[in-house]
Amino acid sequence: MKLKTLLTVSTLATALVSQALPAAAQETLKIGAPLPLTGALSPEGIKLRQGYELWLDKVNSAGGIKAGDKQLKVELLFYDYQSVTPKAVQLAEKLISDDKVDLLFSPFGSGAAKAVSAVAEKYGVPLLASSASSAEVFDQGYKNLFGLYTDNSTLSEPIASLIQERLPNVKRVAILARNDLYPLSLANEFEKSAKKRGLEVVFFEKYPIGTLDHSSALTQLRAARPDWIVITGYINDLIIARKQAGELRVRGQVLTLINGPAYSEWINAVGPLAENVTTASWFHPVLNYKSEDVFGSTQNFVAEFKKKFGTEPDFTQASGAAVGVIAQLAVERAGTKNRDAVRDQLVKGNFKTFFAPVSFGPTGIANSYIPPVFQIQQGKVQVVLPAEIATSEFRTGIGH
Amino acid sequence: MLLLQVLTNGLALGGLYACIAVGFSLVWGVLNVINILHGSMIVLGGYLAFFAHQYFGINPFLFAPFAGAVLFVIGFAIQRLAINPVMGRPVLITLVLTFGINLFFDNAMLAAFNADYRKVIIDPPLGVFEIGSVLLPVDRLYATLLGLALVGALWLLLRGTQLGRAIVAVRMDRDAAALMGIDVRLTYAVAFALGAFMAGAAGALLSGIFPISPVSSGSYLGKAFVICVLGGLGSIPGVVAGGFALGVIESFGALAFGPEHALTISFGLLLVLLILRPQGLLGVKGFN
Amino acid sequence: MLRYSIIGAAVVALFVVLLAIGDNYLLRLATTVAMYVALASAWNIVGGFTGYPSFATAAFFGLGAYACGVAQTYGVPLILAWILAGAVTALFASGLGLAILHLRGHYFAIGSLVVADVLREITNSWTSLTGGGMGMNLPLIGGSTGSQAQFYLLAMVALAGLSLLAAVLIDNSKLGVALRCIEQNEDAAQVIGVDTRRAKVAAFTVSSLLVGVAGGIYASWVSYIDPIDVYDVSLSVKPIIMALLGGVGTIAGPVLGAFGFLALEELIWRNSLEFHAGILGLFVVVLVVFLPGGLRSLQGRNIWQLATAAFTKRWA
Repeated sequence: MKLKTLLTVSTLATALVSQALPAAAQETLKIGAPLPLTGALSPEGIKLRQGYELWLDKVNSAGGIKAGDKQLKVELLFYDYQSVTPKAVQLAEKLISDDKVDLLFSPFGSGAAKAVSAVAEKYGVPLLASSASSAEVFDQGYKNLFGLYTDNSTLSEPIASLIQERLPNVKRVAILARNDLYPLSLANEFEKSAKKRGLEVVFFEKYPIGTLDHSSALTQLRAARPDWIVITGYINDLIIARKQAGELRVRGQVLTLINGPAYSEWINAVGPLAENVTTASWFHPVLNYKSEDVFGSTQNFVAEFKKKFGTEPDFTQASGAAVGVIAQLAVERAGTKNRDAVRDQLVKGNFKTFFAPVSFGPTGIANSYIPPVFQIQQGKVQVVLPAEIATSEFRTGIGH
Repeated sequence: MLLLQVLTNGLALGGLYACIAVGFSLVWGVLNVINILHGSMIVLGGYLAFFAHQYFGINPFLFAPFAGAVLFVIGFAIQRLAINPVMGRPVLITLVLTFGINLFFDNAMLAAFNADYRKVIIDPPLGVFEIGSVLLPVDRLYATLLGLALVGALWLLLRGTQLGRAIVAVRMDRDAAALMGIDVRLTYAVAFALGAFMAGAAGALLSGIFPISPVSSGSYLGKAFVICVLGGLGSIPGVVAGGFALGVIESFGALAFGPEHALTISFGLLLVLLILRPQGLLGVKGFN
Repeated sequence: MLRYSIIGAAVVALFVVLLAIGDNYLLRLATTVAMYVALASAWNIVGGFTGYPSFATAAFFGLGAYACGVAQTYGVPLILAWILAGAVTALFASGLGLAILHLRGHYFAIGSLVVADVLREITNSWTSLTGGGMGMNLPLIGGSTGSQAQFYLLAMVALAGLSLLAAVLIDNSKLGVALRCIEQNEDAAQVIGVDTRRAKVAAFTVSSLLVGVAGGIYASWVSYIDPIDVYDVSLSVKPIIMALLGGVGTIAGPVLGAFGFLALEELIWRNSLEFHAGILGLFVVVLVVFLPGGLRSLQGRNIWQLATAAFTKRWA
């Protein structure tokens, strides 16, 4: 009976699996995408998938990707890696060896992207990293890894320079960081940027993932009397942190919060406390690049995203679509889905996308654009840097 | 002055913490079940309050008893359907069972609400109390006072009503209670449902202050563990003491060792207390 | 004994076939199932033989993984790092056992459950040693993908075999008798002269040693670890589900349970992109409520009889 049960289960499994395999009809471009759809990273996983899907619908409704004289239908294979990094690695391997994908999109975040990049490298499959910005991900000399985001220091440096230039009396810096790969690495960059300019870091603390109450840390931070306050984390952390900093009357000349303040969710949640908060991000809907991809421009992308999902895209959602258009442009230019030819095109770079102009440096990390610095002014997101796309002047002081 | 502010920060969370943990303590004490589902029930209460606020403009603090009532019904059903068959079985079985229900519950919430954080926006903001130079946000004061009031109401219910006395009797001696004509099964279901009620109400109170998401259920559950062990199982005054103790310990711990060690301290304390004094600071046999 | 030999032979045959086919994804699944066998068998020594509801598997697994990771970063050779991982974990567990094994029932369950939380937070904040929330990269071993996959499968299967051997040896030793006595009635065991404390700590230590090595092998195998992943509470609960599935307290139960659980996990996961955790949760509920004796209670009866029996019992 026992054996029989097991046999039934395994036959059932085989039947279901073979059914799931698509019938080979038209030629397709297969892209594998391990996603964290459940578990701690599920908010990000769901967003990334929205970005992928918007691009996918757009491409396939236009008949697919034109590669040489063929039209390739795009097939995206999603699997849930449950926010567990090794599971993502396992899935990347499965996508390559079982599903025979032509390209891979990375799992979310720097750690998982780094772990998966080793598999991609082993099999020689180009891997587009949608959300990895820590330099350590790209220091392994891999030839198949391409990262959409620029290095974390490109977020800290412009803000630090701006402050040094406009506010020479800013001397004391306080940093509060989420103890998690990306926010922590970002906080370290801010510390470096501050020290490089002779500023004194008077407070540097980390808070555990999932912290609800920052009042103790902020009470201490306030006592350190900083001029410039930097808090890293995700949108929920920064809602709580901003609210509690307001309640505790934390004062200073500049308040920088990354990532979150550039999104209406955050601004609505904290209300007037959003005033004059600075942040930086690789993408924002106020940008306006003309692009050579399926969307044509940032504004058009934003409009289509809104139409499909009802909200403005944030940088994670935009990154999902951005790796899609980069893959598409690379395949179109290569004229084939052959991995080596596609990889050569990725190395050549120079993709004018709705996200930003994207080219990859020698390590594979994007180096062709500088993420803009934003400031919330009268409840609206304004670009204050770089000057070419600035929509407003930088202001000092933090609202209460 | 810094110390006074830190103390205030800690105390301001105490009543809310007590409210988070009291249902967990009740279920553990009366049913002898460690309810892994507790954190998720808190989150569901938070979502109910969020939607009530979004669609009907109801203040989340005032909504707390209604969120509790919805959870009461859900809790009653869960106990009857899934937990009752394993009553009296070893902790291994009951804990794994509630873990399984929790997997389902969490995933269902993820599917239904997406995982993005939602925040109830109280407009205009409630502001801040100033006592000398010590600052106390009004929303926290409300949440903590209401949390305490709910815990007090539960205490009165257990002490002053026939239902409450039945629950206490079942906790003290199940067989004797059955001999006295108490419907033990029904009492179990009601006690579990009351635990769910408190979780739902606590979730609604939390939603007035913090963003809510299915991924935070684990951290609420962790707090319930610590508070129960701190205060001792089976006593409502113990839970209140545990709640305030945790608030103050977290607050001063962060000051002394840095915020990154806040969790280490509270879990470490839990272990040490378990080893040295498993009955907790105020633990007693009957549920009072 | 004949039954064990048949099962053993079947497993070995399966293993040889796998190595011959050499599909990397299958090799990964096989390595996972071997790891599950090791974890479930190791847990069974404490949870099954002794009857202590231990939820400390994740703590030992994570500790082993990080001990191995740190050792490897300091240049300790691979196999030695695994042994070290086991030793560190066993040392920790013997101390922990002395402290918490006097707790019973729910208090022991909670105590063992939060050990992983404490270790995770310490790992998180000890950035200089562990990399904290940034995670840790382990050095890759050389060789082709295929040979690496085979190597780790071999290692994990060896560990699974070792766990089974440990279980069989303990089961047939004086320690085993002592543990069974404790399981039956700890106070009575003490009265008849069993040194219960020593027996419990010994069982806890052996069990943790195996789990620690499993964590070590896992760390080298996936080559990237982070605190959230290796101290995850599901690592504590899954081995218990496997043991429940196959039969708690038996030798073969955890093995069968590990295979059954992986098959189910994989099946559910493949067929539901977004709701697999929920379905798995439902499955756990059904298992615990309807099949308290595991798959073995299916013998000679069919599931509907069982279900109706359970229903009538509940509403009676």
